Amino acid sequence: MNAPVRFQSLTVSDLAISAGETTIVRDVAFTLAQGRPVTLLGASGSGKSLVAHAIMGSLPTGLSARGAITLDGEDLLAGSPAQIRARWGRTIAILPQEPWLALDPTMRIAGQVGEVHQYLHGLGSADTTTRMRSDLAEVGLGDRAQAYPHELSGGMCQRAAIAVTHAAGASLLIADEPTKGLDAALRDGVVTRLRQEVEQGRLLLTITHDIAVAGALGGMVGVMHDGALVEFGPAEQVLEAPRHDYARALIAADPAKWPSFPLPAAGEAVVSARGLAKRFGERALFEGLDVSVRRGEIVAIVGPSGCGKTTVGNILLGLVAPDHGAVERAAGLAPTRFQKLYQDPPAAFAPHQTVRQSLGDLLKLHGLDWARAEASMARFGLGRELLDRRPNEVSGGELQRFAILRALLLDPVFLFADEATSRLDPVSQKDVFAILIEAVRERGLSLLMVTHETALAEMVARRILTLGSPENP
Amino acid sequence: MSIADATLVPITQRAWLTPSRRAGIALLGVLAAFALLGPLLVSVDPTEQDLAASLAPSGADYWLGADHYGRSMLVRLAYGAQLSFGMALLTVATAALPGILLGLLAAWRGGWLERILDLASTVLLALPGLLLVLILLAFAPGTFGPLYLGLALTLWIEFYRVTRVTAAGVLRQPHVEATQLLGFGTGYILRSLVLPEIAPILITLSAFAMSTAIIAISTLSAISVGLRPPTPELGAMVVELLPYYAEAPLHVLMPGVLIFLLVLGLQLATRSDVR
Repeated sequence: MNAPVRFQSLTVSDLAISAGETTIVRDVAFTLAQGRPVTLLGASGSGKSLVAHAIMGSLPTGLSARGAITLDGEDLLAGSPAQIRARWGRTIAILPQEPWLALDPTMRIAGQVGEVHQYLHGLGSADTTTRMRSDLAEVGLGDRAQAYPHELSGGMCQRAAIAVTHAAGASLLIADEPTKGLDAALRDGVVTRLRQEVEQGRLLLTITHDIAVAGALGGMVGVMHDGALVEFGPAEQVLEAPRHDYARALIAADPAKWPSFPLPAAGEAVVSARGLAKRFGERALFEGLDVSVRRGEIVAIVGPSGCGKTTVGNILLGLVAPDHGAVERAAGLAPTRFQKLYQDPPAAFAPHQTVRQSLGDLLKLHGLDWARAEASMARFGLGRELLDRRPNEVSGGELQRFAILRALLLDPVFLFADEATSRLDPVSQKDVFAILIEAVRERGLSLLMVTHETALAEMVARRILTLGSPENP
Repeated sequence: MSIADATLVPITQRAWLTPSRRAGIALLGVLAAFALLGPLLVSVDPTEQDLAASLAPSGADYWLGADHYGRSMLVRLAYGAQLSFGMALLTVATAALPGILLGLLAAWRGGWLERILDLASTVLLALPGLLLVLILLAFAPGTFGPLYLGLALTLWIEFYRVTRVTAAGVLRQPHVEATQLLGFGTGYILRSLVLPEIAPILITLSAFAMSTAIIAISTLSAISVGLRPPTPELGAMVVELLPYYAEAPLHVLMPGVLIFLLVLGLQLATRSDVR
C-alpha cells in the first residue's frame, strides 16, 4: 500500500447551495489547513451539514452546489459521479454521527477494519491482519479487536469508526456531530482523539452545535446561521469576542454562562416514591431509591448513559412499573396534569399529522380555545406558518417548544423533561429552558429533568440526584 | 446518512399519483366501464342462445363474437367481469374488516387475547386455503355462499397478522405514549395515529387479496367446483370454450386476458414507490 497522501489545504470559496430556484446556503468561504482544523457551529437547519455534503459530493437529489471547493488544487465540485465516488473513503471520509448505528452489528471490529484493507486495497490475508492490528492499536482498541459493536461503549465505537477511516487512508476527515448522544466524559475522549488526528497531519472539518467541542478542538471556528457563514476566525477570537449578533447569542447560550434566577420556595410534594427498585434482565438499575418532587421545584437526575435516569422519571409518571416500591401522587390531580417532554422532538408527534391537526385535536378534546394556543405560540416565538408543516419539517427547537406548549395547555403540575434539549443547539436549549423556568416560577410547575450535562443541571436545578451504576462505567 | 439540515431542504411533495398508479387506475376504469356499460349497449341476456351464430367471429352482429351456443361473448365477458370483481370485493371486505379489527385489538391488548387469536390464525393457516373452500363447497356445490365464506376465512389471516405486527410497531413509539399522557383515548390513538400509518400496507395487501380471490374463483369454477354454467364466470368460460380452440382461439383467450387485465390493474393501482 502506498503511504497515505497528506493534503495541505481545503479551500471553500463562494459556496452556494440551491434547491431549484431557492438558494438555501450562500456565501460560505473558509480555508482548512494542516494543523488548523475548522469547526462549524450552528443550529440544526443552519446549513452546516449541507456544506459537509457539498464537500463530500453527496448532496441529496434536487440540490446543487455552486462556487469552488478545492483540495490541494483539485476541484471537488467538478468531476463525474464516478470520480466523486472514488474519493469517498479513500480521500475524504465522514465520521458518522452515532457511530454505533453505522458499524455492522453482526461483525467483529477486527473484520470491519480488515475488510477495508482486503477489498479496498486488495491486500492478502497476512498483510490485512498486520495492518488491521496496527490500525486498532493506534486508536487504543488493540485488545478489543474481537468485540462486536454492542460490546463497546459509544466512545469506543467512535474510535472504531475512526480506525476504519484510517484503514481506508482518507486524509480529509469530516466529523458530523461526533459527540451527539455522548456524555461529558466520553465527549472529552472523542475530542482528544480528533486532536490526535489533526496532529498526525490529517485535515479535520467538524460540524457540531456543542461550543465546548469547538473550544477544545481549537483551530478555526465558523458560525453558521440561516444558511450563511456569519462569522469565521481563530477559535479563541470567535469564542471569546464574537462580532456577529447570532454568534454572540450562540456563545452566550452556553449553560455555564446563563444568568442565575431566583425561584420561590418549593411547596408540598406533588409526586413521591419510596424504595424504588428496577432491574432489566440481570442488571439492577437501582435499589431502594427515594425520590420526591415538590411544587415549584426543579430537580435534575444526572448520571452516565444507561444508568436508569429515564426509567426513574417514567416510573414517577406511571409509564413503567417498578419492581419494588410505591409511587404516590398528591390527591385530587387529573392524570393529564402529569406530562413528559421527549429527547427527540419529532418522535413525540405523529409523523403524518400537521402541527395544526395534532394541536387542534388536543384543544377539541379538552374543550380549549384556539386563542389560547395562539397566545402561547406568540409568546414562545412560534410563527403561524409552522402550523401547516409536519413534524419532520419543523426544526427540533421549534418542535420542542410546541411540545412544551402542548403540555402547558393542560396546566400540568409535574413535567418530566427527558433529555429534552440534548439534541438541540445551545440557543434553542436556552429558549426552551427559559420557557420551562418561567412556567416553574409562574405556575408552580414541578420540573424533573434528566440530563447527561452536569453544567446544565447545576445551572438550572435546585436539587440534583446522581445515579451511578458501577456495572456500567 | 441523515441530513441534519432537513428543515432547509424544500419538501418535494411525493406524488401520490405515480405513473404506475395512473396506469392501473385507468386500466381498472376501462374495465369497469366495459363491465357496467357492455350489457347496456347490447341488451341481450347472457344466457340467450342462438345456435345459428355458434362460434361467430367478431363482426357487426356480435362485436366480440359468440360462443359455441351462440351467446354474445361481449355480454358474457361483461357479466363475468362484474361477477369476478364484485365477488372479490365482497370477499376481501369480509376478510379485511375482522382481520384489521382483530389485529388492532391484539396489538393493543396483547396478553392472552393476542395468544388466543394467534393460535386460531395459525391453525387456520395450517389448512390449505383451497381445501377449506372445497370442504365448504361440498355442502352446497355450485353456489356463491360457501365459495365466499371459504375464501374470506383464509384471507382474513393475512390482514390480522400484518395489522397486528405493524400496529404493535406504531404503538411502541413515543408519540403514542405522549398522546396517552395528553389524555387521548384508545379510539383516537387507533383511529388517528395507527390506522393512517398502516393504511398503505393494508391497501397493498387488499390488492393482493383481491387478486388471489379473483384467481381462486376462476380456478375453482374452471375445475367445475365453483360456480356452474350457464353462469357467465370467466374461469368456467375458458373451460367451456377450450374444446373449440382450433376453430376459435380468440374466444378461448378472451376470458383469460380479462382476468389478467383485472389483476394487473389492481396491482398497478396499489403499487407503492420503492423508497
